Amino acid sequence: MITWKRIKLENFSFPKIYDYKKEFIRLEEELPLGIRLDKIYDTVDKTKINWLNTSEGNGLGKEFISFVNEFYNSGVSLYLERNSLIEKPIVVEFNMDKENPTVVDKNIIVAEPNSQATIVFDYSTDEGVEAFHNGFTEIHAGENSSLTIIKVQRMNDISQNFDTNIAYVKGEGKVNWITAELGSQISGSNFTTFLDEVASESNLSSIYLGDGHRKMDLSYSMIHKGPRSISNIESRGALMDNAKKVFRGNLDFKRGSRLAKGGEEEYVLLLDPTVKSDSIPALLCEEDDVQGEHAASAGQINENQLFYLMSRGLSEREAKKLIIEGAFRPVIDRIPLEELKQIIDSEIERRLVNA
Amino acid sequence: MERKKTYIEDIDRGIYDIKNEFTYKYKADKGLTPEIVKEISKEKNEPKWMTDFRLKSLEIYNSMPIPTWGPDLSDLNIEDIVTYIRPDAEMKHSWDDVPEEIKKTFELLGLPQAERESLAGVGAQYDSEVVYHNIRKELVDQGVVYMDMETALIEYEDIVREYFMTLVPPTAHKFAALHGAVWSGGSFVYVPEGVDVDIPLQSYFRLNAPGAGQFEHTLIIVEKGSRLHFIEGCSAPKYKVNNLHAGCVELFVKENATLRYSTIENWSKNMYNLNTKRAVVDKNGTIEWVSGSFGSKVSMLYPMSILKGEGARSEFTGITFASQGQHLDTGTKVVHAAPYTTSTVNSKSISKDGGYAFYRGLLKVAPNAYGCKSTVSCESLMLDNKSKSDTLPIIELNNDNIDIGHEAKIGRISDEAIFYLMSRGISEEEAKAMIVRGFVEPITKELPLEYAVELNNLINIELEGTIG
Repeated sequence: MITWKRIKLENFSFPKIYDYKKEFIRLEEELPLGIRLDKIYDTVDKTKINWLNTSEGNGLGKEFISFVNEFYNSGVSLYLERNSLIEKPIVVEFNMDKENPTVVDKNIIVAEPNSQATIVFDYSTDEGVEAFHNGFTEIHAGENSSLTIIKVQRMNDISQNFDTNIAYVKGEGKVNWITAELGSQISGSNFTTFLDEVASESNLSSIYLGDGHRKMDLSYSMIHKGPRSISNIESRGALMDNAKKVFRGNLDFKRGSRLAKGGEEEYVLLLDPTVKSDSIPALLCEEDDVQGEHAASAGQINENQLFYLMSRGLSEREAKKLIIEGAFRPVIDRIPLEELKQIIDSEIERRLVNA
Repeated sequence: MERKKTYIEDIDRGIYDIKNEFTYKYKADKGLTPEIVKEISKEKNEPKWMTDFRLKSLEIYNSMPIPTWGPDLSDLNIEDIVTYIRPDAEMKHSWDDVPEEIKKTFELLGLPQAERESLAGVGAQYDSEVVYHNIRKELVDQGVVYMDMETALIEYEDIVREYFMTLVPPTAHKFAALHGAVWSGGSFVYVPEGVDVDIPLQSYFRLNAPGAGQFEHTLIIVEKGSRLHFIEGCSAPKYKVNNLHAGCVELFVKENATLRYSTIENWSKNMYNLNTKRAVVDKNGTIEWVSGSFGSKVSMLYPMSILKGEGARSEFTGITFASQGQHLDTGTKVVHAAPYTTSTVNSKSISKDGGYAFYRGLLKVAPNAYGCKSTVSCESLMLDNKSKSDTLPIIELNNDNIDIGHEAKIGRISDEAIFYLMSRGISEEEAKAMIVRGFVEPITKELPLEYAVELNNLINIELEGTIG
């Protein structure tokens, strides 16, 4: 039984997990040499790659991670050899329907030095299906590698979503996270990045939209261990109706992370008097020669902007939608799939205008 | 260049560390039982409702767990702490009548001099009881009451009964319950409607006995349209055993009233300072907190403002200086419970020599508190990498018509700034001290003058040769 006080997840226990029988890897062309993408069943043999010895970080909690390790029914393992590169994004998509209502995915991505890739994970549901997702994505980014991981969650309002993401970044390696949280009744997601060596880098951009009775617990951690490591968290969200969100941002400078820099910014637009918005931005520091900064702000849509748009003949809903889209746009534009961008746009439109 | 290294043990805490011989008239046994609590109440000739209140608090105390979310309190054993010590002195209203030993302590701390020069009234507490209390006659004539809690409990029983521990109920947390059971001493201030007390009142709390606890209770009621500045100073000499300070401050600020509450805590580094302070502010009232935490081994101190009336305002200015062996967990809580309330939080911390400064804050906006505004700003400066500095501000918003901003920064003194100052002919040490003084300046200017001077001296002593 699991209880999360802030989003009132009480006495939660895991549902029965069914097999996920659909294809979830979408490949439009052959993978270049040196890149191996498999379903998790023939997983990366961690013992063969000697630098994968780390397993720090609790993500959403030990219960959620060990549940994935025990009951996973899908997921990918991606192995990038030294100097390998793939330009087109790799797409992993899960669509939960009546026959396949549960996804428990375990993903491992290993990027050897100087490799580069972009991976998109898309989680969606059919209308009316009470779906359940609990995932665990583990990333090992080698020296000077560059990975971009995009997670889009647009499940329906009666589903549950839990997702843990942990990355370990070596010297001058770089992990970029882009996350869009647009759906599900209850959603808990955690992104933890260990900046383990000199000049490791990670950037996280997140957008979220809470409407209806949605409850979200979003937690982003950057753990600086390496000197000159760099991190940046940027989160933009909008809350309406009776939605509730908890934002947790942690910048943790461990001893030895000399000259590290970390920044964290959260901005949330509050659209209805009934929303609930908690923010817990923590700044932890054991090293003096670092720069850490966080800022959180919350407020309503600027009335002047709204008035201007409405004076041009837009309805209030449309005007608000435009302003929210404007706030989300920089993050959405970073998603490299035209098709997915459009899906996100129309999803936001549906929720804001047609609600 | 050879650098001087100063450590905290080397610094002469001077007047703060002068110990008096430990003499007392009555001392409770160590530990905590209903018998001891009854004994304290009997010794003080309290009305029955207070004795019952103490016993009820003791029950609550025994039923509550020790908080585990903050600093480690496992070294603190209540069984080893003497909860009540009556010093060998009666309460005096004339300074000359205070016993020589005790008088000397406070004179060294500058208390009577401060009274003559710049205060409207002074109270001095030594161990568990108040030994001296005085207030200017003009204020008495206007109906201002300033006395020790024990006397107030007899002379103003109705008022005390109406307010006592209603804002910080014994159920708030374990140490509030402990306070409810064994409280002793402290000040009672009542400012009637429309009185402007233009010079500050000051209470000074001194804990002399080793292995003892101080549990003073401060109750201040500022009626409609009145104004008051209250200063609280605390210190204790260092002993090898742990001392405990679990005081309680309850402030009631009525319509259009203003209260400024300044505290300088300079407890010795064997003190557990687990103090609870709360203020409730009515319509258009203002509470201003100025809080300096320098001493103690462990501090858990989060003054709380409850903005209950429309247009109420709170302002918090705090500085925490954590040095070797200190874990200072401080911050503030603000609850916006009414429309158009505003709050400002400005907190700074410095940690050095393995000190651990933790800012822990809460900002809560209730569903009906529309139109409220708040800004929170926290800055931390670390002077070496043996130290630690954490910031954890929690923000809970329950409506949309608000304007909230929060900022926090951490870092060290930038090399460019030092280089710039050195290029102007200032030595490296002096440049660093200048920058630190500049960092705390917005806070020091809020402190009463003698404390501001003291803080600057402290920074000079503590910084000499230690950074870089």
